Amino acid sequence: MRNFVRVLLIDVVVPVAVLVALALMGLFLGWPLWWVAVASMLALLVVEGVLLNLYLVRRDRVSFGTDDDGPRLRLALVGLVTALLVAVGYTRWTVPDRDLRADTGEVVRLATAVSEATATFSPQDPTSSIERAASMMAPEQGAAFRANFGRSTQDLARKNISAQAQTISAGIEALGPAAASVAVVMRGTQQTPGQPPSRAVLALRVTLAKKEGRWLVYDVVPINQVPPGQR
Amino acid sequence: MPEDAQDAGAPAVKQTTFSRHGVVSALLGLICVAAAALLALTWVHHRSDVAERTHQTAAMQAAIDWTGVLINMTKDNVETSLQKLHDGTVGQLNTDFEASVQPYRDVVRTLQSQTTGQIEAVAIENVHHDLDAPPDTSNPPSELPAGMAARTDTVLVVATSVSQNAGGQPQTVRWNLRLDVSDVDGQLLISRLESLR
Repeated sequence: MRNFVRVLLIDVVVPVAVLVALALMGLFLGWPLWWVAVASMLALLVVEGVLLNLYLVRRDRVSFGTDDDGPRLRLALVGLVTALLVAVGYTRWTVPDRDLRADTGEVVRLATAVSEATATFSPQDPTSSIERAASMMAPEQGAAFRANFGRSTQDLARKNISAQAQTISAGIEALGPAAASVAVVMRGTQQTPGQPPSRAVLALRVTLAKKEGRWLVYDVVPINQVPPGQR
Repeated sequence: MPEDAQDAGAPAVKQTTFSRHGVVSALLGLICVAAAALLALTWVHHRSDVAERTHQTAAMQAAIDWTGVLINMTKDNVETSLQKLHDGTVGQLNTDFEASVQPYRDVVRTLQSQTTGQIEAVAIENVHHDLDAPPDTSNPPSELPAGMAARTDTVLVVATSVSQNAGGQPQTVRWNLRLDVSDVDGQLLISRLESLR
């Protein structure tokens, strides 16, 4: 019974497992030429080992599995290799996949918030939405944004114009581990005293970058703004 | 399992029959099996994520192709363009196609215009607010009958087309479109067309 288990585990399961592992690694790597070469070499070695084992069984009546010199080293090696594989698989696939999902939500949330803030203005509190948008931007871009819009807000406040924007639809154009681009379509409403409110659809592209684990807005530009000469 | 076999096989003579090597080997074997199972799980998970992204890319491409025809219609190609657009739709949009594109057709015919359109941005929609809907009604996810499409993705397309009228000023049309791309028997077809306003 004991010998049967040992033969089954060491002499049959191990070589089969190694061959399967080689094939799996090829599958993960997408069968590049170098792995085809390495894997076929290793597979040949495994087959040779099995044949040698068979020969030894016939000659000495003892196989690798039933040899009392111990299979510990072999199993330790297999264990180490499998652990490495899992570690590689975990860091290469699971972590990026999970990060990507988390980033999707965060990036879209930031992009819509910044977009709405840039197109919102209240004469009672002229700087609040600018500050809100700037706080989500990278420091330099935030300062530039404040400087740009600070001037025009005084004008708007004097004329008592207010503006609101609401996101209709937003989606990710491109997303990488450290950079993203989000398209946001909003409805902007502008109210000037004594005039009916004017409504317009605004499409913005928000670009973001990840710095020290935190997503920050780098730029907000209109998507289909017509160049002045073409109107 | 090896341990079961060992335990069941020789519980009484465990001390003498199994060396430390044997016990350690069995433990390592267990770890190997667990690691292999974990690896397979990770791989399956990763494959489904990759398949998801591949499908989204295909849906975006289908939306680009379809919108490209729509925004490049001119009086010379209006009939072939409309036929192409009609072939790319499914469901309610396909049934009511003539009615829903009639305004476009009339405009293109009467304007005698040369139109060149350009797609500016394409995105898989992540956030949508229907600003005109009463707050308590939810937006129908798809206009297709249940079970007809394997899945439906909503794609946001922003485009511009410039029409050069005979003798007139060039006219710019901005398109902010929301398209539902449905996978019907492996074919990606447009099942809803909505202009955001």
